[in-house]
Amino acid sequence: VRLCRCPCRALLSRPPGAPRSLRGFAAGPEMHFGFQTVTEAERRKKIYQVFESVAKKYDVMNDSMTLGIHRLWKDILVHKMNPSPGTTLLDVAGGTGDIAFRFINYVRSVREQQLQRKLKHHQNLSWQEIFDSYQEDKFNSLGDSQVVVCDINREMLKVGKQKAQQLGYSEGLSWVLGNAEELPFDDDKFDVYTIAFGIRNVTRIDLALQEAYRVLKPGGRFLCLEFSHVSNPLLSRLYDLYSFQVIPVLGEVIAGDWKSYQYLVESIRRFPPQEELKEMIEDAGFFKVDYENLNFGIVAIHSGFKL
Amino acid sequence: RCQHCPPLRALQASAVLRRVSDEHKKEPLTSSSQQQFDSHPAGHQPERDPQGPRPSYTGQGGQESEDYESEEQLQRRILTAALEFVPEHGWTAEAIAEGAKTLGLSVAAAGMFHSDGSELILHFVSECNTKLSELLEQEQKLVQLGKAEKKPTDKFLRDAVEARLRMLIPYIEKWPQALSVLLLPRNIPSSLSLLTSMIDDIWHYAGDQSTDFNWYTRRAVLTGIYNTSELVMLQDSSPDFEDTWRFLENRVADAMNMSNTASQVQSTGEAVVQGLMGAAVTVSNAETSRAVR
Repeated sequence: VRLCRCPCRALLSRPPGAPRSLRGFAAGPEMHFGFQTVTEAERRKKIYQVFESVAKKYDVMNDSMTLGIHRLWKDILVHKMNPSPGTTLLDVAGGTGDIAFRFINYVRSVREQQLQRKLKHHQNLSWQEIFDSYQEDKFNSLGDSQVVVCDINREMLKVGKQKAQQLGYSEGLSWVLGNAEELPFDDDKFDVYTIAFGIRNVTRIDLALQEAYRVLKPGGRFLCLEFSHVSNPLLSRLYDLYSFQVIPVLGEVIAGDWKSYQYLVESIRRFPPQEELKEMIEDAGFFKVDYENLNFGIVAIHSGFKL
Repeated sequence: RCQHCPPLRALQASAVLRRVSDEHKKEPLTSSSQQQFDSHPAGHQPERDPQGPRPSYTGQGGQESEDYESEEQLQRRILTAALEFVPEHGWTAEAIAEGAKTLGLSVAAAGMFHSDGSELILHFVSECNTKLSELLEQEQKLVQLGKAEKKPTDKFLRDAVEARLRMLIPYIEKWPQALSVLLLPRNIPSSLSLLTSMIDDIWHYAGDQSTDFNWYTRRAVLTGIYNTSELVMLQDSSPDFEDTWRFLENRVADAMNMSNTASQVQSTGEAVVQGLMGAAVTVSNAETSRAVR
């Protein structure tokens, strides 16, 4: 039941002064689900169902759709974060744990470097003392860093926990069921808040941004990795072709689910472009908001600070 | 990169943490906040819950609460706090993170700056230059009030450069790292402008009022003296850097002599050129005679 197959760019280019309610998904009961128009409650249910059905094949589909490039995007996100040991991260809509695992790896390697540098300064220690220092640092390989993975979908969290067990991630990791628009956490708790490829599926983006602001400590950082708008016309035509012709077919062949992947590509087209998302983040109270385009705008990383 | 300037709002963190007390710095902030408020009439009436003292844009003069602080001021405070951790962590994002922690902010605030510590180093250099200017100005006031003798130029230059180089002493171990970062192409415009303005300052207080080519020569000479002394200082292990000050003294003396020997250099230069020409002619003659044979 699709209204219009072609990207509705007319909907997205409006005079800049227009209030946001005209957007069609902020206020009012009429919202978009891909290119369909649904009520708010229906939208939440449909999105839950989408991710319930794709959960098991989520990672495989990511790899095949983006030809593995999504791993680089997530790596770049964590490098941009540059977390130091002792950082607490909240990864929202983090379902299968990609960002969380990368965070743990990064913090571990930084910690190792720190310990090595400390050892260099203590070269006059006896071997007994060096061995003793290993013992105490063994229990602190993460340097007290913590990551909380929060997702609204139980199936995605299940897949994530299984992956963690398989890959051997145990310490510093927590899995919480929660809604980005109403997080089950107290104020001023986290150093970094990330949401990778999740904010597109949130029904009320402004509420999610406000919650992000609330749970971050003063000085904390908000990072959002999301599909965004390609401005280069040639590339955008190729990208549209690939999105609408190839991806749903892959979805049917690999995951047996055409509709979910049709929803995916449509929701990408409906998502606000870089500048607009930047303004929304500023409205939530963040400072020094900036974005970085990856792959000419196919994906963008937005960053803001709670100051 | 987008240059959209959000209206200056009260930074919640700084409101909670500290009160900025210097009023006169706020005047330029006030006027700019007024302009920005006028250009964003409707778009910033958010329906979020109040987050602490709200800025009041009332009044022509700008009655701002004392908790008001711009992003730049907060960044500068973080960098100043970070300097204390440089001897341990170097000029890195780690030092900035520790600095942010002492101000009560999350370590993630270090993400506002480059991961190679450029901003920290530039901030330090500009702070040192400001301190030097203040020092020189105070000395000048003393001279004007007659409480001190006016120093001869060479002593003045020596003291000024020594005072400036002494500011590096607490960070001398990590200073080579800082120098290499300052030489990155991205940082060269800023670091060069800081250097030239410092040299300018020193000559200004030394009483230089030249308007001819001497202006450039003087600055080039002093820049050379400063840079070479800095490099000598990096590998100086004598007590209280005596070797560096002696090196500095010799270089300044050389520079003073240079003006006297400038004319001598010119005639020597001409003689050298003639000698070279003669040598070239001789060599070419030898070549042709060998070829003929």
